[in-house]
Amino acid sequence: MNKTMYKTMNRTLYLLLICLLGAIAAVSGAQDELGTLKIAALEALITAPPSRALPIVQRVLKSDDREDIKARALFVLSQIDLPEAHATLVAMAQNSTGALQIEAIRMIGVSGAPVAMASLAEIYTAGSEDVRGAVLKAYLIADDSQAVYRIAAAATDPQALERALHMLGAMGAVEEVRALGARVEMSETLAQAYAMTGDIESLRKMAFDAAKPEAQVFAIRGLGLTSAPAANAALLSIYREQQSDVVRHAALEGLMISGYDQGVLALYRETQDIAAKRELLQLLVMMDSDAVWDEIDRALDERP
Amino acid sequence: MNEQTLTFYYYGDGLDEDERRAVELALASDPQLAQQYQRLAAELDALLVSASAPAQAPSHLRAQWHDVVDRAAQQEAALNRPAVAPKSRFHAASFFWGGALTASLVLGITIGVYMTAEQGPGVATDPLLTDADPVTAAGSGAFSRGLLLHFEDSRRQLAALSATENGERSELMLELVAQNRLFERAAEQSDAQDLARVLRAFEPVLLRLIEEDLPATEMAALRSQLGFELNIMLTKLTVELSDKADTIET
Repeated sequence: MNKTMYKTMNRTLYLLLICLLGAIAAVSGAQDELGTLKIAALEALITAPPSRALPIVQRVLKSDDREDIKARALFVLSQIDLPEAHATLVAMAQNSTGALQIEAIRMIGVSGAPVAMASLAEIYTAGSEDVRGAVLKAYLIADDSQAVYRIAAAATDPQALERALHMLGAMGAVEEVRALGARVEMSETLAQAYAMTGDIESLRKMAFDAAKPEAQVFAIRGLGLTSAPAANAALLSIYREQQSDVVRHAALEGLMISGYDQGVLALYRETQDIAAKRELLQLLVMMDSDAVWDEIDRALDERP
Repeated sequence: MNEQTLTFYYYGDGLDEDERRAVELALASDPQLAQQYQRLAAELDALLVSASAPAQAPSHLRAQWHDVVDRAAQQEAALNRPAVAPKSRFHAASFFWGGALTASLVLGITIGVYMTAEQGPGVATDPLLTDADPVTAAGSGAFSRGLLLHFEDSRRQLAALSATENGERSELMLELVAQNRLFERAAEQSDAQDLARVLRAFEPVLLRLIEEDLPATEMAALRSQLGFELNIMLTKLTVELSDKADTIET
């Protein structure tokens, strides 16, 4: 088959499918058995010219079709790069309810269209918890960390701030999390967000700040979560230098979380304190460290 | 013979024995097609080289985090054996992750993916970000073809999902999440922002499918919607690749 014939056939097929979808959408009181066919027809629309596909998708969204069919229509809409398509997405996100509203918000993120993205701030302010969560996810999808930062900075509710901070962590937004870190007292969430962005510098600063012992513990665990060499080195320093038992204990937890058995082994070898040696040896056993068996042999062979 | 068939032939997947033989015959008898296949294979080789190393990273990270879970279990077991374990200053309950290991697993994977700096030997770097030339890769179409296969693979795995046990399902989904993130990063680096957004939108759904207490009806609905979205992206990419091939030929 030559290319021209193939293309002509394709176009004919599109037209057929578009007519089919139009006819199906026009049938009031959509029947369940038509659902599969409608979804197939919607799928075919992605290859149709956007200006032709748009009114059909809009018709499906206005119909009394099942919610799952409309959700699929929303995805097709997100792939149509026309201002009218973006406006329809915004209208759906503002005026729908329940799962369809959440899906419309998600699709605004997928489209990434600036006008539609700009509408999300208002939807967030007016929305329920679920809607707010969906807006944050849409920002994640569109990789708009500045918008999440604005929400976090303006948050008066600690839960909203915590959620936004987690989202910034997941987005790897180092600068935004740091900027919030200077303004909020939420050590556990902050430490997790720092860990998620791999911001060892901020975690280290927090972990060495003896004025805030609770925050120190969270930061130390965060260092363990990153498993990075610089974090492991910081954990060893904390164990060696800090006086507080709670903080030193947290440093061991961090080393365990990190799986850095060589560091624990080094601490075991250098300490002269029998109680500390016993604790470190136990930790090495728990970590299933290969090196621990030599140390156990050596300890058993030692003579008074 | 179209490029998709040649791509399937290259990966030894998606073609039955007769179709494979037909490709072999065509390649033997048509020097122009053989040349086209050589070019394609070279591009896909390059893609494999850049993708093979990062593919190891998520499984390593997974192993590491499973390790954390195992160690916590061992510690609990040790603490529950008072005759063997002397009094220790460690308390399992004091670990902030003690009651939320699954959450830590997901968090850990997130960290592994988003960590871009100061990575140690324990965490593999991502050659898609460092070694490969993403612009060239995208320009050559290898990225799109790789993505096409990722979408097809995801669709196939999603279809098989209901038949899998919970543990196996988590493994499958984590594998898909890891692959999805590799392509997401590659898309970002290739400045294919529209694709990157779609890939990012898939991820929360894939992570939701990992949840063991997910009701069957919700799982079915999520799978169905995701399957549809994958189909749409497959069609879109196939058309784009085909258009690109047409442009090159004309």
